[in-house]
Amino acid sequence: MAEILLSVVKIAVIVFGFVMLVASLMTLLGDRKQSAKIQNRIGPNQARFFGFSLAGIPHFLADGIKMILKENVTPAQSNKFLHTIAPGLVFVPALVGWAVVPFMDHYCTGTVQTLPQMNYTEVCVGGEWKNYFSIMHFNSGLLFAFAIAAVSVYGAAIAGWASNSKFSLLGGLRSSAQMISYEVSMGLSLAGVLMIYGTLNLNEMVRMQGNMFGDWLPMWGVVVQPLAFFLFFLAGLAETKRAPFDLPEDESVIVAGYITEYSSMKFAMMQLSEYAATVFIAALIAVIFLGGWQVPYVYADGIRFLDNHWVPFGEDAWYWISIFLRIGAMVFKILFLVWLQFMMRWTLPRFRYDQVMTLGWKILLPLSIANLFVTALVLAIL
Amino acid sequence: MPKVTINGTEIEVEKGTTLLRAAAQAGYEVPHFCYHPALSIPANCRMCLVEVEGNWKLQPACYSEVTDGMVVNTKSDRVVKAQKAVLEFILVNHPVDCPICDQAGECKLQDYYMAYDAQESRLRTEKQSKVKVFPIGPEVLYDGERCILCTRCVRFCEEITGTNELTIVQRGDSAEIRTFPGRELDNDYSVCTADICPVGALTSRDFRFKCRVWLLSSTDSVCTGCSRGCNIHLEHFRNEIQRYRPRYNPQVNDYWMCDAGRLTYKEAHEDRLLRPMNNGVQLNWHAVGEATADKLRRVLKDDGAATMAFVVSPQASCEDLFLAREFATKVLGTTNFYLGGKADGDSDDFLIEADKNPNREGLSQVFGGLDDLKTAVQLLQDLEEGTLSSLYMMESHLPFDSGERTRFIDALDQLDLFILQAQHRSDLAAKAHLALPTCSHAETSGTFVNSQGIHQRFDQAFAPHGQSLPHWQIFTRLSKALDAPLEYTFVHQVQKEMFPAPEEEDDAAQPAE
Amino acid sequence: MGNVTVKNVDRIKQTLWEKSYIPEILRGLSVTTSHFFRNLNPNKEKRTIFTREYPEVITEYPERYRGLHRLMLRDDGQVRCVACMCCSTICPADCIHIEAGEHDDPTIEKYPTVFVIDELRCIVCGLCVEACPCDAIRMDSGRHIPPSLERDEAFFDRDLLMELGGLSEAKQGGQR
Ligand code: SF4
Ligand code: SF4
Ligand code: SF4
Ligand code: SF4
Ligand code: FES
Repeated sequence: MAEILLSVVKIAVIVFGFVMLVASLMTLLGDRKQSAKIQNRIGPNQARFFGFSLAGIPHFLADGIKMILKENVTPAQSNKFLHTIAPGLVFVPALVGWAVVPFMDHYCTGTVQTLPQMNYTEVCVGGEWKNYFSIMHFNSGLLFAFAIAAVSVYGAAIAGWASNSKFSLLGGLRSSAQMISYEVSMGLSLAGVLMIYGTLNLNEMVRMQGNMFGDWLPMWGVVVQPLAFFLFFLAGLAETKRAPFDLPEDESVIVAGYITEYSSMKFAMMQLSEYAATVFIAALIAVIFLGGWQVPYVYADGIRFLDNHWVPFGEDAWYWISIFLRIGAMVFKILFLVWLQFMMRWTLPRFRYDQVMTLGWKILLPLSIANLFVTALVLAIL
Repeated sequence: MPKVTINGTEIEVEKGTTLLRAAAQAGYEVPHFCYHPALSIPANCRMCLVEVEGNWKLQPACYSEVTDGMVVNTKSDRVVKAQKAVLEFILVNHPVDCPICDQAGECKLQDYYMAYDAQESRLRTEKQSKVKVFPIGPEVLYDGERCILCTRCVRFCEEITGTNELTIVQRGDSAEIRTFPGRELDNDYSVCTADICPVGALTSRDFRFKCRVWLLSSTDSVCTGCSRGCNIHLEHFRNEIQRYRPRYNPQVNDYWMCDAGRLTYKEAHEDRLLRPMNNGVQLNWHAVGEATADKLRRVLKDDGAATMAFVVSPQASCEDLFLAREFATKVLGTTNFYLGGKADGDSDDFLIEADKNPNREGLSQVFGGLDDLKTAVQLLQDLEEGTLSSLYMMESHLPFDSGERTRFIDALDQLDLFILQAQHRSDLAAKAHLALPTCSHAETSGTFVNSQGIHQRFDQAFAPHGQSLPHWQIFTRLSKALDAPLEYTFVHQVQKEMFPAPEEEDDAAQPAE
Repeated sequence: MGNVTVKNVDRIKQTLWEKSYIPEILRGLSVTTSHFFRNLNPNKEKRTIFTREYPEVITEYPERYRGLHRLMLRDDGQVRCVACMCCSTICPADCIHIEAGEHDDPTIEKYPTVFVIDELRCIVCGLCVEACPCDAIRMDSGRHIPPSLERDEAFFDRDLLMELGGLSEAKQGGQR
């Protein structure tokens, strides 16, 4: 019973408290305010609470109200059933993936010790690890995340087909082709990482990244697999269908792609799930390449740098401080990656479709295979 | 025939030709104000001075006749200097109020200033001021300040109309044109003085301030005021006729036209019938074609063609009348023609004819003489006796006095069918079972034959107003609806049928005014 | 034909460095990022925001701003325009409608009985001002064309345009 209650609380906090909040705020801050700053504009500031524009947040609330009040149009010749469930098919996978994302290490009921001689591995002495900081402790978490991400392509394709509009259909086709192409290089680029860490469990992976090279360089994914990081970041951008890879919604060519025929909250769900996917990809990159919740040199039992060891505020207090630092680090990394993706979006012009395909199949794929071979070779030699 | 050399061009001209005309034949313009080809030559403006070799003084080109072997220069430095001096002299007291001058845009003074003078005024003295708006006649206003005293207007009244109203009063810079005491410029051709006035001193009351001349488009046309058919420039702006201006035709009207004729353009815009009407209900052409055809069929079946009267109008062009004849005889099967048209009016021995219809001669040619056509009086009689059951009428004019017209309108009530093709809304159009809108001569092209038997083409100036159509097009439409189509689509097809051999266009070149 | 000349344009060769796009993307990113952070500067003076917050902050128009037309007045307050139609002739948008009438005063003769400018149609080119021989029409009212809900509200007639008018420095009737 307590387990179930705990899961519900975790789901509530992570999915609704974090993901939805970040995703929907991004529609405002990322798309509007950030672009405004980049383009030397002010951005929306006319909707106000008691005379305060509050960085444009009232706009976002007004948007929500507008979306709810708008007429929900379903095209006459469309497949009503599929047209209606498609937004759900896009939206749900974007949230389900969060089940395996660790926001912090497991909680240790005893005391945590870091073993510098064992490459700074943390062990729980006199107690056991309790999973309080990710929704699900799952040994093949990475596979799960990929499986779920791959499902969302169905939503887009079905939305495109069910709308009975040429633009929608083209958008759906583009999106499925694009997602499938990039899924391949995404998976292959990760193979190298898997070989190094030797686990599919995301939390384990983050723990391994606490290890050090020569006592001072954390073994983050980006350090051991820089090329893979780069490939994964690119493929992730393409996977979320955001600019410069927003071909499925190429407004100058196919109106709004697979969401052309959507309005009201269905439209909002489509949009929102794209933003949620952006956050999800950011979380994956953070977990796999940027050390997840790890803060360099900060360990559960104090700060260690080279051979020095400090424990500010005493052992017990420090454990709690380190927990908050680490959650904070995870959130910060996610937000930073989201911000970076939006910077890319407002920096680069949209690709042509053939360029997207060339990039996917002729550049990313060979590079990721090469990366895999080199990694394997190096590992075999060592 | 004397040979002259003008600016190095050798040319042989008739004996008695003036230098100005000889230069024109050689292709050189000599500026002139007082000279007008239809008037006598006073040589008073001195604008036309040219240099003749061997002559110490410059000679007025308008007056001097050529002699054999003359060598003339119209562009020498002395001539240019003289031209500048003359223009400067004229402009001493000229108000140059071009912005409010109706002549601006077709003003000789303006044009010559730009072409031959174009220097800044050197005068710092006050200009002589005179009466700016002097009502010199019922149709014409006179502005003394703008007048350059060329006396064209005075000579026109002496030599063309012979009425002698105008003269110059005062001297020097106070000189002005005035009428003789107790008279005003009220002859029937008075607006021609505004035409020939090279500047904006005489302006037509009707055209005054109405439209700037540079906005006008001009179409060659024929005046419809009387059977003389004076040739005109039909000048229009935004699908509206703004004025008529006489067009040179030595056989018909020379450079002139009468005042009454000038104002007939108003008819083309006043009180127009703009849409086909079926018993007072507006219809489109398609529906009205069907309705007309139905009614005509029924009447022809019930009463036969013999009791149908077909009134043709000498107001219509030859093309219209030709198709009227074809339509009546071939489609309706009636030869019961009556003659409509306006009643006779005043005439004089210059241009104005008593017959106020532009195309009686053309009608007579199309119908092979007027003898087979019954008169309007006969029509009234037949109507009142009840021998007619239906009436098809072109245009609403009939040569009736008011009593006859009332009787005629009352008699219309007993008709089974009354179809009227007319330009205007009128008491007749209100009575008509079907009133079909036709357009004025400005909105179509065609041919009138004037009282002298001269065929005169007129051109279309702008698109028909509202949904009106030329008569001939209405006939072809109805014939199609009646399943006996008259196969004409363009007016030139009609003309080809009417005038088998194309006539030589009489293009008399207009000498410089 | 035979006289068609063909010009071969060589493709610009890209180096591998350029083809990888990475340096260029980074350059672009550095531009956008620098803008982003510059415009987050707490010191608002240092930001480079070009937005004008119009209704709250009203910018002064420059002196030679071409705005709403005005019709200048004579010394006695009558309209200066003599209805010469130079302005309506030159107007490329064909938006000036003038009807001329005879004035009671013979020294004025011609004046506009109707003078309407369709300010919606006006492309604010200023040619009418250039064309006017009498300094009767000007666009220096310093006001922009006011927004309106109805089309007819944008038809500015003579009296409305005269309300914005003023006396001209040019001598009436010009220098003699
Ligand atoms: S007569 Fe000619 S020059 Fe004189 S004001 Fe009129 S247009 Fe101008
Ligand atoms: S009124 Fe005209 S035509 Fe008559 S003298 Fe004066 S300028 Fe010549
Ligand atoms: S500014 Fe230009 S468009 Fe506007 S009224 Fe004047 S001439 Fe016409
Ligand atoms: S140009 Fe000047 S004087 Fe002429 S009509 Fe226009 S405003 Fe009036
Ligand atoms: S003097 Fe020759 S035209 Fe006037």
